[in-house]
Formats: sequence, C-alpha cells, structure tokens
Amino acid sequence: MAGLLKKTTGLVGLAVSQNPHERLRVLYSKILASLQTMPQDAAYRKYTEQLVHERFNHVKTEPDVEKLEKKINCGQIEEVIFQAECELSLSRKMNEWKPWEPLIEEPPPNQWKWPI
Amino acid sequence: MAASLVRFVRGGLGRSFNIARTSCLLQQQNRLQSSTTETRPTVRPKDAVSHQQLAAFGEYVAETMPKYIQQVQVTCYNELEVMIHPDGVIPVLTFLRDHTNAQFRNMIDLTAVDIPTRQNRFEIVYNLLSLRYNSRIRVKTYTDELTPVDSAVPVHMAANWYEREIWDMFGVFFANHPDLRRILTDYGFEGHPFRKDFPLSGYVEVRYDDECKRVVAEPVELSQEFRKFDLNTPWEVFPAHREPKQAAPKLEAGDKAPEKK
Repeated sequence: MAGLLKKTTGLVGLAVSQNPHERLRVLYSKILASLQTMPQDAAYRKYTEQLVHERFNHVKTEPDVEKLEKKINCGQIEEVIFQAECELSLSRKMNEWKPWEPLIEEPPPNQWKWPI
Repeated sequence: MAASLVRFVRGGLGRSFNIARTSCLLQQQNRLQSSTTETRPTVRPKDAVSHQQLAAFGEYVAETMPKYIQQVQVTCYNELEVMIHPDGVIPVLTFLRDHTNAQFRNMIDLTAVDIPTRQNRFEIVYNLLSLRYNSRIRVKTYTDELTPVDSAVPVHMAANWYEREIWDMFGVFFANHPDLRRILTDYGFEGHPFRKDFPLSGYVEVRYDDECKRVVAEPVELSQEFRKFDLNTPWEVFPAHREPKQAAPKLEAGDKAPEKK
C-alpha cells in the first residue's frame, strides 16, 4: 500500500518497503525470541525488550504507515526496519559475547590517569 | 578543570531513555538562552543539560556492557569518553553501531597516543558519530608494543586505513586486519616515527649522490650536540626579565679536584 504512493525513500541503498508492518512484526518477534535466551537481569535484555515492546505495540495498533512513523519517531519506516535488522544481528552476537558478565580485567594502575 | 571532570563508577542505577533524541532540541534552547544572558563572554558557558544527557548515556552503556567497560567519563568540554578493555573493541563498537539507542554508525577518527611511562604505552582512541541522534562518543583502549588489538574493520570499513596508519606510525599490531601494510612512510623505512623514543632527526638521511648519479640513503651523521636544541633566542627580547643562563661550573687547570684519592 505504501509502495503505491511512495516512490523512493530518498536514501541511497534503502528501497521502499512494500509491507513494512509484516516485516517489522517478523523482525521484532525474532529479536524478542533471541532476547529470551539471555539472563533475566541482563541490562541489555531489559532495555532492548522495553524498546522493542514499545515499537511493537505501535506497529500492532497503527495501520497507517505515516502515523506509525510519527509515533515511533525514528525516521522513515524503512530506516526503522533497518534499525530492527541491526538490533537482531546485535542481539544474536550478544548471546555469544555475554557482555553482562563482570569485568574481565581491571585496568593497570594509572592507566586512565591524565595528565600523567 | 579537575573539578568539572566528572567520573562515574561503572554500573549504578540506570534509566532507559532515548537521551540523544531530545538533546538536539534542548541544546538549541540552551544556546539561545545563553546568548542573551551571557555576561562574561570569555568564559565558556556550562551546558549542564547536555552534560547530564551524556552522563546518563554513558551510564547506560556501562550498565549494558559491564564486562568490557572499565570507566566512563564526561570531560569538561562535554565529550563522552568510554574506556574499555582491549578485548572488548569489537563488542563495544558493534553495540554502539547496532543498538537502536546508540546508532554510532560513522567512524570519524581512529588514532593512538604514545605514553612511554605507562605499563601499556599505547592508547588507541576511536571517535564515533551518530547521525541519527547528532552525538559523538570517544572509545579508548590500551595496548603495548607486542600485544595485538582486534581490528575494527569488520565493524567499520573506515578503520582500514586508520589502522594501517597506526601500524605505520606507532607499530601497534591489529589482528585480523585484511591488509596491514605501511601507508605513510617511504619504501624500506624502518621504525615507527610517532613513538616518543624515535629521534627527531630520524635514523637515515637521503641525498643525491653525484658520483653514483642517484639518490642514496645513509645513516644520519648528525652529531649528538646538534640534537640538544637551545630554545633560547639569541636576541635579548626582554632584557629586564631575562633568565640568567646557568653557568656551567668550570674547573680551572690550577684548581685541585676536590678530595680525590
């Protein structure tokens, strides 16, 4: 529907999405599934779940694309899709890195002291 | 200056927000206000709002990746600095690039600092820009001469030549770099010129040899005295305030060396 009215996003390499709602629904549910495998108290999981839920609710409730863009307020819907793709790949990588663990090594003394 | 340099302990209580999104508007308002109420124009106005936002975002990043982030600070010029462990280069840069609240997709600069007195003498500095939220962040890590750092090329393509430059100038090795070669110095150059222990005059000098009819490179024949630069001007600029040059204690031929036996 959006594709009929919208010819271009005006951004190089970013094509107009034909069915943004469907795409976002798929991406957000994949992100949430990937976040499920992280520990409950991980800060990344907490914040990302909150963010994704907020956007997911907008996607569910708002059928009109332009209004949806205004509600999400993070650029055009194609950019939002791109952000969701990035977040999905990041959340999968995060599962490998496990950055919620405690600090691996303290800095050597006076490493961050400036001026020396 | 030291008082306004606020440091934050890792972790702490965090709130989630899209800090940077609102920062642009608030900054503009603040700028307008400060231009009207400015009474001391030579003093840099304190921007408490953006300072707060940067601090909050720094806390957010530190809370999300406590495994790698050692310290977060906001400088007195409102620049957010994140100090990380060298193992966390790729995770932290990827997080900053891909996370929806960060989106630091552009690498502006990547450089190194040499501080020879430290145990890890090189500091690697990444400057990132988020076009979405109009904000910048600086990521710092450390290494020494032998320890390789993970290359940032898989995350930011722009890092390719910067890392070659650092390799050339400082001799920091980047693991998994696709093409780690010399970039600035001449063919056959030896040494890393930006290291603090590299002499100012270099090791070789190049001249045209008339007999060989070609350019030859020879070791520098600059005697050591010329390397001790006398920075005092030979003219008397302010004779009244001239500092007396320290006279070297001379030992005359007739004098006895003090108590030598």
